[in-house]
Amino acid sequence: MLEPRWLRWTGPGVIALLAISLLASTTLGAGQKRWEPPDCPAGADRVGTARSPAIAIGDLRTVPWYRIDPRLDRTGALAGQRLAIGLDGDRSSQYLDLVAESFAAGPFGRVILVGTDDGAASNVAAIDVAGQCSFPIASETAVIRRATIAPDGRTIYEMRVDRATREDLGIWARPIDGSLAVRVIEPIGSDERFGRTYTTEFAWSVVGDSLAIQSCGEAACRTRLFDPTSGRIGSVAEPDLGALIGHQDGIVVTYGECPGFPCPIVATNVSTGARATLSEGSALAVLVATPDGTRLVHEQVAAAGLALRSVALDGSAVADIGAPPSGFRLNATEGAVSSATDLPSSWVLLSPDARLPGTGPLSQTLLRHVPDGVSVELEEIVR
Amino acid sequence: MSGYLNDGRTPWHLPRRWSVGFTLVVLLASVPGVAGHAPDPALTGGRWNQNQALTYSWRSGSVPDPKFQASINAAAADATASRASQAATFAYSSGSSNLIGYGTGATCSTSGIACFSRSAPTSFSMWMREQGHKFDWGSLRWCQYYSTWPDGCFDVENIMLDEFGHVEILNHHANYSGESDYLDALVQTKSHAKPQTGWNAHAFARCDVATLQVQYDMQGWGAKYSTCLDLATTLTLGANAGYVGYGGTVTLTATLKVADDPSYSRLAANPVALRYVTLESRPTGGSWTSLGTMSYGSTSGTYTKAVQLTTRREFRAVFRKPSTEGLRASTSGTVVVAIGP
Repeated sequence: MLEPRWLRWTGPGVIALLAISLLASTTLGAGQKRWEPPDCPAGADRVGTARSPAIAIGDLRTVPWYRIDPRLDRTGALAGQRLAIGLDGDRSSQYLDLVAESFAAGPFGRVILVGTDDGAASNVAAIDVAGQCSFPIASETAVIRRATIAPDGRTIYEMRVDRATREDLGIWARPIDGSLAVRVIEPIGSDERFGRTYTTEFAWSVVGDSLAIQSCGEAACRTRLFDPTSGRIGSVAEPDLGALIGHQDGIVVTYGECPGFPCPIVATNVSTGARATLSEGSALAVLVATPDGTRLVHEQVAAAGLALRSVALDGSAVADIGAPPSGFRLNATEGAVSSATDLPSSWVLLSPDARLPGTGPLSQTLLRHVPDGVSVELEEIVR
Repeated sequence: MSGYLNDGRTPWHLPRRWSVGFTLVVLLASVPGVAGHAPDPALTGGRWNQNQALTYSWRSGSVPDPKFQASINAAAADATASRASQAATFAYSSGSSNLIGYGTGATCSTSGIACFSRSAPTSFSMWMREQGHKFDWGSLRWCQYYSTWPDGCFDVENIMLDEFGHVEILNHHANYSGESDYLDALVQTKSHAKPQTGWNAHAFARCDVATLQVQYDMQGWGAKYSTCLDLATTLTLGANAGYVGYGGTVTLTATLKVADDPSYSRLAANPVALRYVTLESRPTGGSWTSLGTMSYGSTSGTYTKAVQLTTRREFRAVFRKPSTEGLRASTSGTVVVAIGP
């Protein structure tokens, strides 16, 4: 099914797209500055959206990061969202005030993807963090709830809902140049075991060869795995499974259907339905590529406090990689903590509140090497 | 009706809807002895101490608006008042290290409207999403945000009581298809918004209470067992003499307990006090006739009755299944008292 070409921008480019405050470059505290990204120069568009090749630890200073937080009004209601972005090596971060219906995703190479909806149209743009500019990608009358960029940097996938009814409209693919979008995955069917869909999230496999689309009811989730090359779709729809942690080689790693932590973590083979329980009771978790293959790194909840463990996706080779420092939490799957950066393989990030700090030094952010448990301060690496 | 009152500790109240008959039986492997629908499953991660007094305070930088604070505090009071067991209690205390946050920084899964983390018996935390949070289906609305509560809003007190239930140890109740038993539990997978069934319930329901009782024990030996349970009981009977003289008096003592079944966890072998236990008698080979209700004994779970004898009699004690709690009937063995020299 073809979609008419995205609507013409009617406002002043990306400024309207991002619904940024009229105030320009107002500094609101040490190292944090309100920002309006200008349009990227013609010809420079659409570069740098490809997934970065293997990142070395020394490259981290040029890697983008983001963190998005709700912004509340005086009554406690959501007024908008504040998106802080920057490079790991530059803590003079910038922020954009987005409308309430908005999202961020990434990083995808040099860019952070930003989606906003002003009640009449949804717009998606890419912010080239290092280039200090942005370029529009999509504008739709339907509500674009989430988007992601394929690892090759050529295609954006959008999840849409109907503006009036909020019904699922499926997953749409569009070239990064913003041309015609095509629906590639049908809307997920209703299923009373899961209830109405609260969220739909995208997650690329650890090596980037398949895309998971997870649709969650209030507690239980259904996961579809999409192979962009073949168009083949596999699915897991069991009501005792919850939020996605990650996936690789047709193995989907999710929490159980839990209302909170601790929660079991389960690896499910999409083709066979076979399961392996990777943890009986964990908190935050993430999948990490290591020389020994993809491993789950997770917080183990115990009366004595949190411990960090890693385990292979078949449940073997359990390893203790040391407790996090007091007050530090594992930075988990992007959607769960609303912040992200790219890391070299074999490393995980630890920080207070399980999220990248929006401002200030990185001395409170640690990298831990999964194979041996060695920790280093991110500040030391990017200094 | 003292036989059906608890023994003076915190009272608990059954909503009228609980008097509806529950005929279908689903046995839950982890909690044997269930009636009607099954008790809530228990979460992993251990238990709090019995009657542990848990406090909480607001998370710095994520403090709920006062109108939400009031409802959260009400939910904490609801949990304490309706636990009907020795589960933990909850109360606000400034400076407590157990933090409840609102909006900014919530570590809930992306689909949760509220969530928790528990590490019993040490700590817990809770979060609620902000008013207006965007989901695929639309915007989250908390009823307490509005002066007139609109349809589709979620009651903060109800939702946060659900979270306090999770913190206790309760997992989501497993409903029948169609949710005809939704009111059997407040701790539910799918939260109901106004005006759906149970949207504004403010007390743990019978299948929540059942699990709290199994995990934390009763508040007293006279307290009622949840009708979501179906616990076997044992009733024994003894006499203070094997024979009495003509016209003499024998005192019979019955002891009522929950069966000593390990699957009943903390409820196993509990004395069952302040119930109706009747004494029956018959001549040898004759028919049983009731001698009336036995009096409460001096030891919890015991019942006594003195009987004057002129002939040899057989006695037994009978505990009939109460309609208002989850205990099975039981009958004692027979005790014979003869007329002696």
